[in-house]
Amino acid sequence: MQCDEARILPRTPMPSQANAPLPTGFQLDQYRIDRQLSLGGFSIVYLAYDEDDTPVAIKEYLPNSLAIRQEGQLEPQVPDDNLPAFRYGMKCFFEEGRSLARLMHPNVVRVMNFFRANGTVYMVMQFERGRTLHDYIHRHKGEVSERFIRGVFTRMLNGLREVHAHKLLHLDIKPSNIYLRNDGTPVLLDFGAARQTLMSDQPMLKPMYTPGFASPEQLGNREALGPWSDIYSVGASLYACIEGTAPPRSDERQQKDTLQPTTRTHTGRYSAQLLETIDWCLQLDPLKRPQSVYSLQKALMRREAGEAMPAGWFADIGTKLRSFIGRT
Amino acid sequence: MKFTIYQESRIGRRKSNQDRIAYCYSRDALLLVLADGMGGHLHGEVAAQIAVQFVTQAFQREARPLLHDPAMFLSRALTNAHNAILDYAFDKDLREAPRTTVVTCVIQDGHAHWAHAGDSRLYLLRGGRIAAQTRDHSRVQLMLDQGLLDAESAAHHPGRNRIYSCLGGSHPPQVEFSARIVLRDNDTLALCSDGLWGPLGDEGVLRGLSDPFVQEAVPRMLDHAEQRAGATCDNLSLIALRWHDDSAPQPGDSVSTQTMAMNDFTTQLETFEQSRSPATALDLTDDEIERAIAEINSAIQKFSK
Repeated sequence: MQCDEARILPRTPMPSQANAPLPTGFQLDQYRIDRQLSLGGFSIVYLAYDEDDTPVAIKEYLPNSLAIRQEGQLEPQVPDDNLPAFRYGMKCFFEEGRSLARLMHPNVVRVMNFFRANGTVYMVMQFERGRTLHDYIHRHKGEVSERFIRGVFTRMLNGLREVHAHKLLHLDIKPSNIYLRNDGTPVLLDFGAARQTLMSDQPMLKPMYTPGFASPEQLGNREALGPWSDIYSVGASLYACIEGTAPPRSDERQQKDTLQPTTRTHTGRYSAQLLETIDWCLQLDPLKRPQSVYSLQKALMRREAGEAMPAGWFADIGTKLRSFIGRT
Repeated sequence: MKFTIYQESRIGRRKSNQDRIAYCYSRDALLLVLADGMGGHLHGEVAAQIAVQFVTQAFQREARPLLHDPAMFLSRALTNAHNAILDYAFDKDLREAPRTTVVTCVIQDGHAHWAHAGDSRLYLLRGGRIAAQTRDHSRVQLMLDQGLLDAESAAHHPGRNRIYSCLGGSHPPQVEFSARIVLRDNDTLALCSDGLWGPLGDEGVLRGLSDPFVQEAVPRMLDHAEQRAGATCDNLSLIALRWHDDSAPQPGDSVSTQTMAMNDFTTQLETFEQSRSPATALDLTDDEIERAIAEINSAIQKFSK
């Protein structure tokens, strides 16, 4: 199924105010709510604890524009007119759950449970301690090291390879969706935009995207979507690491390309090979980019021609890593 | 009885949905019915609604829990539905009685019986082939039978929507009845309106229902048909049933009627309001929500081992 943003627009406009989160201490199914972690237009994410006091992240489906929950209420109020759109959005939320449930990888966020309560639905995910790559870039603006970049991206791409192996595209890769655990290993988050497109021949409807990180085919010719589209977003995220900001929007680049190749702007501060790899990913023509995650990983593991990175980075470090997860 | 069933009706690109679908089962008998109200005539959707409702109610009256004689039941129910449409036209002082196609099927004792009037179809699929199907009561089908047309030109014939038998209207319907067919484990029965079989063809219906899960196959086939029909997409409806032997292990989403009370019925019939609203296609029933959640959790279990 494709999730069409236009279909989630309200018929009855709602005052755009934030919905009240569930209160601290609230017992939601088998989980105890601790606090709100983040609030998006589509959902609220909570930190909660299960019966064994293990922390989990719970994502609550609660589209701001369609449903309203006031302080002290549990069930969101959905005007009748918005009900079909609310239910449609719920289907999209299920799609995310379906996609993630099939992925079991140390570099992909893990879904642990899915349930219905309070007139809406909840997705329980493993709680990870750390911060987003976005935060990291902001704190280390202009001084993100090449070693860090190569280490994080090579591992993150292990997760993305798994995503592609399941015939899914992520389609929303950006620094705020790459989470860095306290031990430095990355986790790919937020599959709200994930689409099962590698297999389906259904028409693509216009989904949400993040300007700057979205490939040109995501904004235009959606038939050309493929692994190379996620690779463009990886390139844009790499670019953000060295530049501190996202590259210009790809649709604007297609009109008039103002993007300076990093090989020209950052020479000397990063190896030529890394800069070439970033420029390679950011090609507007999908065919001129790395065509698979694997080929990009190979490029990221080679500092200079012939010099390989430690083999351990590339291998599936799953079993070893899993024992660290959650212990911080 | 054990079976898996899924039905869906969509408006396509029309202003209203004049298709109606329903299924209903008691402990020992099962009814499927689909009607496609005729758009060129007044109140096509009323005719379709009356037909589906009438046949469903007759079934609930008579299947206690078995029908005495399924073939007789179909004959009587369709004749009475036709008369009910005429009565409605008389009551409302309509110049012309509204019309609808109908295709309906009854299953009991492991046998299927079906009947139809018009160009809504029933397919029986078995072992990757079409084991039986209804023949449309249409001019095009007659011309095909007489060798005046080939399948290719029939698919594009300007008069392909003209049918010579239906419920309602000014002529009594010519209802066609099937023989008594023994169902085998994994047989699939599909009832559909021309909005579905038109764009997909026999091949497309067969291929679409080769999916082991009808609840996934049906929406996908409707998607395909809508996509193929494009801007002129007609109303489209499909009921698909997969039959399971009583001894077969029960698939997770199937229905077993064994534990039902003698006089209990389960009925799925979309109401007027729902099918008129274009939002219906987007709607998600409570059952669907429960199913989606169960499916996700079973995937979590399976993949976290």
